[in-house]
Amino acid sequence: MSELDFLFAFAAVLIAGVMCCGRDGRAGWAAMAVYGAMLVAVMAAAGKVAGGSIPSALGFSVLGHKIGWRMDGLGWFFSMLTAGAAFFASWYAAGEWGRAQPGMKTQHLLLALNVAAMLLLVNAGDLLSLFIGWELVSWAAFAMMAQKGGPAQPAAMRYMIYALAGAMAVLAGIMIVHAVTGSFAYKDFAAAFGAMSSGMKWLLAGLFAAGFGVKMALMPFHLWQAAAYSETPGASSAFLNAVSARMGLFALILVLVKVMGLSALAGLHVPLIGLSAKGLLMWIAAFTMVIPTFIALMQTDARMLLTWHGIGQGGYMLLGVLVGTGLGTAGGLLHVFNYATYQMALFLAVTAVIHRTGTSDLDRLGGLITRMPWTYVTLLMGIIGLAGLPPMNGFVSKWMIYRSLLDSGSAFLLIFAFVGTLGTILSVYKLIHNIFLGRLRPQHEGVREAPWSMVAPMLALGGIGFVTGWFPGLALNLTDIAQAAMGAPELPHGLGGVATARGSLNMIWVVSILLVAIGFGAIVFYFLGNRRYEVNQLNNYAGGHFLSPQVPYQFSHEFYPGLARVIGPWYRGSIVRAEQGIGTLLDVSGDLWRGIYHLAWTPLYLLAATVIALGWAIMGGM
Amino acid sequence: MRLLADIVLMPLIAFITGLFLVLMYRRVRAKIERRVGPPFFQPVYDIVKLFAKKTQISHGVMHDLSIVLLLGGYITAEIFLPVPGFKGLAEEGDLLTLIYIMMVPMLGLALGVGSCANPNGSIGISRALTAMLAYDVPLAVAIIGATMTYGTTNLVEIVRIQQEGGMATWGIATMPLLAIGGYLAVHGMFGKEPFEIYIAPAEIATGPMVEMSGKYMGALFIMQCFQLYTIGVLYVTLFLGGGENWPLFLIKVAAVVFISVAVTNVYGRYRTDKVVRWMWKWPTGIALLGLALVMAK
Repeated sequence: MSELDFLFAFAAVLIAGVMCCGRDGRAGWAAMAVYGAMLVAVMAAAGKVAGGSIPSALGFSVLGHKIGWRMDGLGWFFSMLTAGAAFFASWYAAGEWGRAQPGMKTQHLLLALNVAAMLLLVNAGDLLSLFIGWELVSWAAFAMMAQKGGPAQPAAMRYMIYALAGAMAVLAGIMIVHAVTGSFAYKDFAAAFGAMSSGMKWLLAGLFAAGFGVKMALMPFHLWQAAAYSETPGASSAFLNAVSARMGLFALILVLVKVMGLSALAGLHVPLIGLSAKGLLMWIAAFTMVIPTFIALMQTDARMLLTWHGIGQGGYMLLGVLVGTGLGTAGGLLHVFNYATYQMALFLAVTAVIHRTGTSDLDRLGGLITRMPWTYVTLLMGIIGLAGLPPMNGFVSKWMIYRSLLDSGSAFLLIFAFVGTLGTILSVYKLIHNIFLGRLRPQHEGVREAPWSMVAPMLALGGIGFVTGWFPGLALNLTDIAQAAMGAPELPHGLGGVATARGSLNMIWVVSILLVAIGFGAIVFYFLGNRRYEVNQLNNYAGGHFLSPQVPYQFSHEFYPGLARVIGPWYRGSIVRAEQGIGTLLDVSGDLWRGIYHLAWTPLYLLAATVIALGWAIMGGM
Repeated sequence: MRLLADIVLMPLIAFITGLFLVLMYRRVRAKIERRVGPPFFQPVYDIVKLFAKKTQISHGVMHDLSIVLLLGGYITAEIFLPVPGFKGLAEEGDLLTLIYIMMVPMLGLALGVGSCANPNGSIGISRALTAMLAYDVPLAVAIIGATMTYGTTNLVEIVRIQQEGGMATWGIATMPLLAIGGYLAVHGMFGKEPFEIYIAPAEIATGPMVEMSGKYMGALFIMQCFQLYTIGVLYVTLFLGGGENWPLFLIKVAAVVFISVAVTNVYGRYRTDKVVRWMWKWPTGIALLGLALVMAK
């Protein structure tokens, strides 16, 4: 048995185990142990995949084609993220949170199924096994989203329609490839792709990009994700957000970058506008960075806000990978890793707030910093990562993406990346302010900190984010393996970051100096000057307004009114309307078809007779 | 050893220069308003007074920590910003790093003000962040254009290129439109009229500063010194050739601040949405035009 077989076996054992005794109170801890073991197994395989790939005994034969699974560096990287995210999600759910959930057995089972499906997807050995994995992931994610019922159900249905449409596009692409090459193997596809006509290349690139783009919510297929992910119960939602959406990115990297090759895409020219297929995709990624970020800015629900940001962050990853240089690819892949750590921390923190207060409505919270300090610390670390500021890891990957865009001369794309980051800063401040800062609401006076079973995984994720921000080399060692498997140029790096001729980043210095400087600031503040008095939170200066401790007022609704006056009219929802239009069109055409089956003849005769009579009268009158 | 000296001296020089810039700012403003203006040591007196005040009101741990973060963030920024004779750690991080380090104090302040639970403060931060989104767009365009022109984000290199080529290679000569757009953004960054929407004493009781007493206010005063200096030096580094020697360098930095101070008095205060519109229209438009010219070369 190879390491990959071990992984599949772990997943299968876990599914069986959860099915038989998932109701047991200790099931969560057992699941966490299994995911931990999976993570260890993946990490142990690092040396082996760095040199080649690990085959699996799993496989079958169809129509003379051998369909199988094998793990290469790219699959390894995403397997690691999957196992890691599942580990933290199950850790979080193992204690009090899981006990408070209705139907926790189903949730355990669905998480195990999702992990198994994702492992099958990312370690697919050919196009057909890739499609099998793709479908399994879609259905497993659907089950996870729909499990809670209520408002989650329509969102999950919407997702499923998008996912099925995407899968059809992928299937069509695979069939075309099979018709041309007579094989499902990646290498035959890669060999044949260069010789295809440019129309065929466009068709295949379009089918695969659209099909896989649906899963990573690339614009204009971005509408389903926010609603579908945010209605899912906490720990599962964190898992979906952290890695599930990245499966689309994985498949895009695999087919578009690794198999087709970026240079082939760069050779496909769009008539008139002077862009190549690669350039077009980069611009799609750029719009995916900016527009969902500014949609996030307008959200009033913490979970919706975070998922919209998740969509936007996907744009950064894709953009980095599409730049195609060593720095860009590493930046994109590193962003996948970093995003998984901070997005998961953020989602778990928001779930802890929901667990204690019962709401994630940003207009109904406030001042929780005194009640839930550790959750606040996690959320703070998470938002610094999401906004891409030092000292957290999100800064490093974004820096690499910016730097690679500068190197490739894509100034206008870089403006988009900057604007996306600025929007993120505004939005995450609103998130932390409306939950933790400002005035505590009277009904939240008695709120306590979340239990340690929930706080510990959150802080651990924040800690990973901090440590890989301080020593990005640790995480870059992981992306090296994936990068080698993609055939991308490698990136020389040290423990502290990257040194290039045109600008370097050494995070060891940046973070260390920041810590020293903060220490110096602490000396200035705490040891100089007169004594401080701590006062009640509500004892503050009203500046002559109505404000007093008896009239609490939390400034949270419409947090950026000035900005909203400017950009508010831009939110026209044209894509939402287009989606509704397609829905209406389907309704109407459905009615037409039904009309053929149930045609009422009598009125038709009447109509015909009237028309003939009128015609006769008119003709006769002339 | 040399590095240690840099790490200690660079923030110190920044602070002292910043005190002079604050003095200049207040004196110039006084002259325009036909007042006498404060004495030479007034900025120092102010800081000592604020730190020694009896009323020092803390609104919790985050309020205190925000001050620490704010000072720490600016001290770090100074160490990554090369000045004549001091390289510090400028080659371990670059222009992009510096820009993002400069956002750390902003975030620290925002968190601290938020934890004070005063709606005036929260509104102030909301406006300050909106203003940041407004002026950072043209600034980003100007910075991207500058790095495209110099071909590097290494600040030491950027200064070296301009020093070796003489005035003809200064940013302001090679990319005048970007320099203009960038300057308008810098004026917004200083947070003076017409862009002082987040202070707005008559509307929101000085916004972020509303709960800051004693040494909290003192720390904000120190921050202002650092802020004037950092923004001035950054602009000089990108567009005015950096510093050949200290006297010339200080004159350039003071000039950047002076122009801003000299014009600010004639303006009233824009509304928040007006700030955003104006910043996205004129400076951004000019800078984008400049960027297009740079890219076309």
